Amino acid sequence: MVKVEAIQYGDRKVYSVASFNRGVADWLSRLPTIWVEGEVTELRRNPRWQSVFFTLKDPSDGACLGVTIARSRFDALRLDLRDGERVHVYGRPELFEAKGDFRMRALSLERFGLGDHLAALERLKQKLAAEGVFERKRPLPFLPRRIGLVTGNDAAAKRDVLTTITTRFPAAQLVVAETYVQGPFAATAMIDALREVSAAPDVDVVVLARGGGSFEDLLPFSDERLVRAIAACPVPVVSAVGHEQDTPLSDLVADVRASTPTAAARLVVPDAAELSARLDRARATLARGAAGTLDRERRRLDVARDHLRRAPLLMLERKRAALEHSAGRLRALSPKATLERGYAIVRTEAEIVRSSDELARGARVDVELGAGGFGATVEDTR
Amino acid sequence: MSEATFEKAQRELETIVQRLESGDASLDEAITLWERGEELYRVCSEKLDAAHGRIEELARRVEAVKP
Repeated sequence: MVKVEAIQYGDRKVYSVASFNRGVADWLSRLPTIWVEGEVTELRRNPRWQSVFFTLKDPSDGACLGVTIARSRFDALRLDLRDGERVHVYGRPELFEAKGDFRMRALSLERFGLGDHLAALERLKQKLAAEGVFERKRPLPFLPRRIGLVTGNDAAAKRDVLTTITTRFPAAQLVVAETYVQGPFAATAMIDALREVSAAPDVDVVVLARGGGSFEDLLPFSDERLVRAIAACPVPVVSAVGHEQDTPLSDLVADVRASTPTAAARLVVPDAAELSARLDRARATLARGAAGTLDRERRRLDVARDHLRRAPLLMLERKRAALEHSAGRLRALSPKATLERGYAIVRTEAEIVRSSDELARGARVDVELGAGGFGATVEDTR
Repeated sequence: MSEATFEKAQRELETIVQRLESGDASLDEAITLWERGEELYRVCSEKLDAAHGRIEELARRVEAVKP
């Protein structure tokens, strides 16, 4: 315990600045030594200085904490830290009394290890999954007006995407944003690039491409901010990060996941030659269909015309058959038919003779036969 | 006679046939009916022939303008 003297002004106790700082510093010194996690920024090391300074930054909301560590201790760790690297710092809070600066006095420093990364990644994955961030999947446009491409500035991934897209669909239009895809600033750089290309006019789909890398290299693709930016992107995003295992979270949140940048390019544009061939086939089918319909209709019309042509003749035949039927019956009943069988009709004047009583010897009669007739005189009657 | 339609002539012919079939016509009447029937048959037959000819003529004309 240090003694902090106050000056008495009547009944008011007033402390000097030094006393106040000393008092606070003393109080802070009683807090325990703990581990704090953050990203190293603004690292300043000067061989003439006793301490090394850096700012520890919270990657999720940007909160900052000044850290000092004895230079000899820092050098002994041989960490070769660079800005943006994630670390665990072991230390306790401290007030630099001369300036009233609050900071952390580090006793030790550890680079965030693979295991830590994996554990952090898994926690983040669980959290985002619980929020449903990975569930929304939008279909890709059949033919995007323009394609946004976010990729490293000299990456083979960029070349693969461009070559494949222009080979498949020569008329394709691209908006390319070259950016960091690796290292401590990659996540924010990719977010900016993603926003930029997705906001460009007529961009209907964005490809985020990187040609693989180590687990650490691909860490930015699992950055929570980038994952959320992909989820919030106004157009569908194709994630094309070549990797063997350890799926980065960008793959999970993207609307479509491609195994390689080349595969992504194949997904975003159709093959113009194949499309053209398909169109030709469709047109041929259409033409055949039209011709077929025409033929069918013509045949139907021909049949109708044949029926039309035949209808009057058919009607005539029926009428003729009916007429012949009537005529047949008429002839069957005809007296002529009877005469033809050998009978004869005998008339006097115009009267038909039905009985010999009507006749007397010498009477003139007219005899009609099946064929012709003759006049005769009655010789006797019976 | 020639003014009568085919249908009218045929109906008359049919009436005559039925009258003859009934058997109650006198011989003179039967002969008159028969002669009338034969005449009607001739008229009807001529009308059918004429109609047939016209239909075939029409069909030939249609066939001739066919592309």
